[in-house]
Amino acid sequence: MGRSPSDLAIFIGKRLLQLIPVLLGIIVLTFVFTHISVANCAVWYPHASATTLANCQAKFNKPIADQFWIYFVNLLHGNWGASQQGIPVFPQIAAGLPATLELVFTALFFMIVVGIPLGVIAAQFAGRWGDHLVRIFYLTGWATPTYLGAVIAAIFLAPYFGLPSHGEYTSTPPPFPQVTHMSVVDALIAGNIPWTIDALRHLLLPAAVLAFIEMGTATRMTRSSMLEVLPLDYVKSARMKGLSEFWVMYKHALRNSLITTTTVLGIAAGGLLSGTVVIEEVFGWQGIGAYAYTSIGGGGASPNFDGAVAVVAIFAIGVVIANLIADVLYGILDPRVDWR
Amino acid sequence: MVGALPSTTLPPRPKGARARLKQARTGFVGFWKVLRANPLTLAGFIVVVMIGVVAAIVLVAPHLITPYSPDQLSLDYNQPPSLQHPFGTDGVGIDILSETLYALPLDLALAFAIAGAAMLAGGGLGLVAGYWDKPGTISGAVSVVVMRITDIFLAFPSLILALAIAVSLGRGVWQLIVAILLTWWPYYVRLVRGETLAVKHLPYVMAAKAAGVTEGRIVLRHILRNVLEPVVVYFTLDVGTVLVTLSTIGFVGLGLAYPTQAEWGSMMSYYQNAGLITALPWTVLGPGLAIFVTVLAFSLLGDGLRDVLDPRSRRVLAGTGADSVSPANPPESASAPPEAEEEEESEESDLPPAPQLPGPTGG
Amino acid sequence: MSDAVVSIEHLNVDYLVAAGRFRAVSDVTLEVQRGHVVGIVGETGCGKSTLGQAIPRLLPEPPAIIGGGKILFQGIDLVKVPLWKMPAIRGTGINMIFQEPLNSLNPSFRVFDQVAEAVHIRHVRDAGRRAGRAESGPFDYSNRPNPTASDAWSGKIVPGGAAATLAHRKEVERRSGETAEELRKEVLDYLRLVRINDPETILNLYPHELSGGMRQRIMIAMALSEKPSLLIADEPTSALDVTIQAQVLTLMKELIEEVNTSIMFISHDLGVIAETADELGVMYAGRIVEFGPIAEVFESPRHPYTKFLLRAAPTRYKVDGPLLSIPGNVPNLSRPPPGCRFHPRCPIARPKCQVEPPPSLMPIAGVGKEHTSACYYAEEVPNIS
Repeated sequence: MGRSPSDLAIFIGKRLLQLIPVLLGIIVLTFVFTHISVANCAVWYPHASATTLANCQAKFNKPIADQFWIYFVNLLHGNWGASQQGIPVFPQIAAGLPATLELVFTALFFMIVVGIPLGVIAAQFAGRWGDHLVRIFYLTGWATPTYLGAVIAAIFLAPYFGLPSHGEYTSTPPPFPQVTHMSVVDALIAGNIPWTIDALRHLLLPAAVLAFIEMGTATRMTRSSMLEVLPLDYVKSARMKGLSEFWVMYKHALRNSLITTTTVLGIAAGGLLSGTVVIEEVFGWQGIGAYAYTSIGGGGASPNFDGAVAVVAIFAIGVVIANLIADVLYGILDPRVDWR
Repeated sequence: MVGALPSTTLPPRPKGARARLKQARTGFVGFWKVLRANPLTLAGFIVVVMIGVVAAIVLVAPHLITPYSPDQLSLDYNQPPSLQHPFGTDGVGIDILSETLYALPLDLALAFAIAGAAMLAGGGLGLVAGYWDKPGTISGAVSVVVMRITDIFLAFPSLILALAIAVSLGRGVWQLIVAILLTWWPYYVRLVRGETLAVKHLPYVMAAKAAGVTEGRIVLRHILRNVLEPVVVYFTLDVGTVLVTLSTIGFVGLGLAYPTQAEWGSMMSYYQNAGLITALPWTVLGPGLAIFVTVLAFSLLGDGLRDVLDPRSRRVLAGTGADSVSPANPPESASAPPEAEEEEESEESDLPPAPQLPGPTGG
Repeated sequence: MSDAVVSIEHLNVDYLVAAGRFRAVSDVTLEVQRGHVVGIVGETGCGKSTLGQAIPRLLPEPPAIIGGGKILFQGIDLVKVPLWKMPAIRGTGINMIFQEPLNSLNPSFRVFDQVAEAVHIRHVRDAGRRAGRAESGPFDYSNRPNPTASDAWSGKIVPGGAAATLAHRKEVERRSGETAEELRKEVLDYLRLVRINDPETILNLYPHELSGGMRQRIMIAMALSEKPSLLIADEPTSALDVTIQAQVLTLMKELIEEVNTSIMFISHDLGVIAETADELGVMYAGRIVEFGPIAEVFESPRHPYTKFLLRAAPTRYKVDGPLLSIPGNVPNLSRPPPGCRFHPRCPIARPKCQVEPPPSLMPIAGVGKEHTSACYYAEEVPNIS
């Protein structure tokens, strides 16, 4: 069977190769989006001076192929343009991306640790009150507009639980170098325990809100794949071996239902990334979500065209990578998949 | 080939209004059974109907429900919730509850319109791409191109893409609709195409082809009928998702502008920009709660419907890659991999044949 | 009483359905003697699978409910045992093999892991017993405040040795007195028991890489490796090709002698039962209608249904005439006929049969007491042409 470690390299390699056309497609699409509409300049910089507008227009007068080439080369050099005020995009994104990743991964962790067992419970009690309660829980999260949830958490829950509701640390800047720009990791690297705890406390609420809103994806999928698995004979065999119900569920049944559950990793990533836009804004988290918010002109800020495009592209790439990971995980978890 | 099948070989189709009524009634009874299966689904359905009724009333005779007429300024500004103003008032004394109710028909209509248009456009494309996709033909090539474009669009998280498009289009209703529409159509393409691919090879479809039924008729009658159910379920859930998206766009400051047009998202944006949130937190309660209740109702209904139709949506992944469908509706149970054909053809065990277990997965 | 491994008395199993409550198994009384094979035969839908799965309480308890009766297993009434304590009895007390080899083995685990898990559970329980915590029998849950399955510690299995940490392995050895090598050796032994040659080659394979017959053997090995007192076989050969079926049956017959576990063999196939069973119980519409030593029941059936069943089975390759079928249809169990359930199709039905349901299994005049029938007119059955 083609499932040796070297085969795995081939498997992942193939998937990575398939990634390239999609990445190119994203780059082309963002290019099309930004360079085709000539009215861009006026819309994005409505109050700009005549010279700014003229400069802006000049870019669009070249032939398309040239425009694309310039665009592509700039992209590779990290020259991602600048905001209206002249602040370059790339450093902002480089500083903000890890913070957003920190938030997203923590939320993902919550989703897995809470969402999946809830899905198992919902499947165990299918049709009874346990199922209904779980469903109300995740649909409530789903139906809450991100903004409302964030505001309720920041204004009501934070004081109630004594958790901070703004920023990554209590006072900025922190007294240690920000190596990775991930608040908790930086504090850990610096060996500064009180600040690590502080960073964790700041991380908790925004990640929890983000997870709560997106949890439905994981729970729903776990529930339905468990429902498929539970009537099968091997679950009965596992029970008949003398295993307690807990092990039957979490070792035998879940192991198989996780195979299909991982496929939602891509959507979950998309939802989580989208959610950061509002969450970071409300909680004052310095990530690219907040950057996206201001770039798009939220809250009355002046729109930052280059920044917005860059963030959109990054989110898309994030989703594509998440799908890739999901695909690879699927191949690993399902023993029937031949890696060659 | 001459002529159709002799009519004597087929049982006569019931004709006439009475027969149609009977068919409609059995369909209705089936729907009612679906609703009853899960109390949550029924609750969702009831709330959806109530929302529809309220929207209709607000459109036709608003004074019946809203305590104050729109934009009625008053002297009690910045009031917290009270008996007179259940959601409080804003900076110029406008009753927030009334405003929220006024925004209801617009939001609802927008959500339905956008989701509906995406369903029609995306669904149509998906049907075509799924049915006429023979490699080596022109239609096959077109199908491949359509799917590639769809895949690229699907790589972008919907909210972000919609936001970005909305920014470049500017504010306004049509811009809002177009922005979301452009983001939303790919999900329906993928859904419908997957379903079409699965249904295409069902024995009775092939039998119809062999009997000489024209392709158009096959598509319309057989394929569409099978595709319709999961699409309708998806649409129900999607109304909620579209609503959340359009109000988030409104909240960020794009889309509609509040004082001129009432829409929940733009209301929240207005309150936030006016700095009211920190001082008067109840102001977001009105629109926020409205969104929450509406989306929750549609989601309960759609989620419950999806339970019952579960085995169908499993086929969605069959025709496409491992990527899943959309934020609103992860496909139920991916059966992409090889074991799809290892369905057991075992003897029936003598457990009772499909007792009507209350709730989830049939079959 | 005599040496009965399990004794079922007046068992009722109901299903809670949207339309109400319907009784899948009514008033079943039977016994499995130690070392015997009891065959349960009946058409699809007669309740034999429900019966088989009800004994170890495998049925999901909503919607299924045990509506009355007793299941005495080594002195304990399984009906009264709370569901969470049942894992202690399953495995080493009662075990089961299923019909579909495709689905009975977990597709995500290798053969070794699955069989080793079963062996490991038995080792741990034996170790607990050796430590003096339990008295006789494969379990004694009264002595343990917690379900024994938590002792089984089944979540952590030592695969071929590669992935286990040293500490983990020491713990396993301490708890069960079993080393990784012993575990592996025992797994191989059981695989050889089920006539798999060169079992080392399949240890690392996944179920989907094996044939149906092989999977069935592995399932049998898994079940037997826990040395259960009672093995329930629910149509174990029904999903196999005829040739494989023959192999597996031969295997089972030999095992029955070698291992001396008691078996309840459920099948719809009379031929299969005839080869393996010592006693035969015939089920119809949720009730046992006849029970007795298999030779006697075959030669001289004492219930009209049994007689028809035996007649309907094609026994020769020569064409003796049209195949005989039983007139009428199996009754709808939500509305069973009053009185004896078979009476609408019975050639010797009398007025009494339409009114009073026969008590389950009555002794027959002139026949040994082991052969019982649920027909009022059992003496007349031999006269049915």
